[in-house]
Amino acid sequence: MTLLAILPIVIPLTGAAIAMLLRRRFQLQAAWAFGAMLTAFVASAYLLWVVWSTGQPVVYQMGRWPAPFGITIAADLLSAIMAAMVQFVFVFGFLYALGAKDKAVRHSTFYPLFLCLVAGLTGGMLTGDIFNLFVMIELVVISGAVLTAMSDDRYGPEAAYKYFLISSVATFCLLFGIGSLYVSYGTLNMADLAARIAADPNQTLLPVAIVLLSVTFMIKSAVVPFHFWQPDFHTASPTPVSAMLSSVVVKIGVYGFLRLTTLLVPHADWLRALLIVLGVLGIIFGGLGAAGTHNAKRMFAYSTLAQIGFIHVGAGWGTPLSLAAAILFTFNHAVIKSTMLMLSGYLASRAPVKTASFSVIRGTGKYAPLAGVLFFIGGMALAGIPPTNGFVSKLALFQSGVQAAQGGDFAATTAYWVPLLLLGVSSIITLVYVFRAVMKIWWEPFAPKSPEEKVKPYGDSLLAPGLLIAACLALGIWAQPLLQLTQDASAWIRQPQAYVQAVLGGETGWQR
Amino acid sequence: MEILKALAIGALFGIGLYQLLRRNIIRSAIGLAIISNAVNLFLLSVGAYDGVVEAYAKATGQRSDALPQALILTAIVISLGGFAFVLSLLYVISARYRTGDNDEVKGLSH
Repeated sequence: MTLLAILPIVIPLTGAAIAMLLRRRFQLQAAWAFGAMLTAFVASAYLLWVVWSTGQPVVYQMGRWPAPFGITIAADLLSAIMAAMVQFVFVFGFLYALGAKDKAVRHSTFYPLFLCLVAGLTGGMLTGDIFNLFVMIELVVISGAVLTAMSDDRYGPEAAYKYFLISSVATFCLLFGIGSLYVSYGTLNMADLAARIAADPNQTLLPVAIVLLSVTFMIKSAVVPFHFWQPDFHTASPTPVSAMLSSVVVKIGVYGFLRLTTLLVPHADWLRALLIVLGVLGIIFGGLGAAGTHNAKRMFAYSTLAQIGFIHVGAGWGTPLSLAAAILFTFNHAVIKSTMLMLSGYLASRAPVKTASFSVIRGTGKYAPLAGVLFFIGGMALAGIPPTNGFVSKLALFQSGVQAAQGGDFAATTAYWVPLLLLGVSSIITLVYVFRAVMKIWWEPFAPKSPEEKVKPYGDSLLAPGLLIAACLALGIWAQPLLQLTQDASAWIRQPQAYVQAVLGGETGWQR
Repeated sequence: MEILKALAIGALFGIGLYQLLRRNIIRSAIGLAIISNAVNLFLLSVGAYDGVVEAYAKATGQRSDALPQALILTAIVISLGGFAFVLSLLYVISARYRTGDNDEVKGLSH
């Protein structure tokens, strides 16, 4: 039964290895990869169900080594939600890739790398060992960079180079942080670390380690002063990949922050304050950046900065409701953002030249009315207008902020009201840039530079974004289960001792 | 000994960071490799907390912590793969632009 915790990681990894063997038979490889992804999603959804219904984390000790010595895979409710979210969105990523017209998708290494990407991401979220987290993040970085380097976009290699260089710096920061934690506390197990940090929070190297880990997670989740790789990277990658990068791959940093502020150092108030400040910066900068772009994919990449800002603000507030809202926001944003990037990619695939630049796709919308409807609903969801899931997550965040702002002193109240004000302003900015895109693509006439340039009669499949939009509406109308789930998760992560006990088996740690 | 170690790690990190920030893309890739060595040296010295000596210190009768060595091994393998990937990217980029100057490689800016 405990083996269930590792299935969402092992299935895509073995699937990737076998898909590599099938590289000469493309159809079979694609079908196999999709099947592996679907199986992995079923496993992670079942894992989430088991964790939620039994109320106990599912913990698997690799090789039956007891907790602080071996590698632990620990699925508490937060990890299980994150893993299920990643794999849910990735199923649609694979579905889009199956119907995509990109040359990159036909390459024999595409599906193995895509499976490695999801395995690394899920592994990073399920692991209970901080060095294993490093390995998984590195798997995500390498497979993401290679997938972008083989993109149809001719600037793919440059974007991959930029991303890889900045990510490597993040990786080195993570390694330095891991080393500092190990020299201070003599363990790499996250639960054991949490227990030891709680027992002795005054180690000299602890603040250094927290700062280094924060830098890593900030680069991973594209928080504003560390975001420079993100718009280029997400614009240049193939559409199925960019839809995944901008929606779930940045969430590894969000997950890292949620773990850091609740499990490892719940006493570090300065870290939470920093998250609020950087989140607010991200909301402003991301919104304005998105409003000034000339490329649909790039616009949504910038919009991710703003949405991640909201999640960080929710994590920074740290009240039970706001943590729940942050997790809910994470889930809903993943669904919406992957849809919008897929729709941008669909328009690019119909355009005379394969790019999502507004100067090329202007007016092509006349030939894609269904995509227009989906784009409109997705834009509503992004701005947070009912009855979509974007509204539910923004409402949850707003409520948690209003409730927490009651009866504090001036500084504390400001920390709540400034983001709340920005929540409204950002929705308006989102509406502005989404409608700017709708006007440019669907309302303006198609004006090719030469008469030979025509809109292609066919493009990528609209099945995946259509299903995701249906999910957006379903999660908006029938929001109660997910809301309940995230509230339970926030109640869990506010009691780190339960996690520690589940992993270490009731003992309070080993004596050196 | 600690001072020497700290200075070596700091010097490697400084040199690596300086090279990373140079305008030449090949130099910045080499900077990446140097920083990874600084990290590895740091992880090696991490093995020495109270009562335990590093793997390279030849003190008989004293224990050595084996875990950081395993960590370094993993980190070396990963950074080797990453460095090979960066070099192949550099090959593609320099073949396209016929230069290693960062300011000339600006396809992403428009």
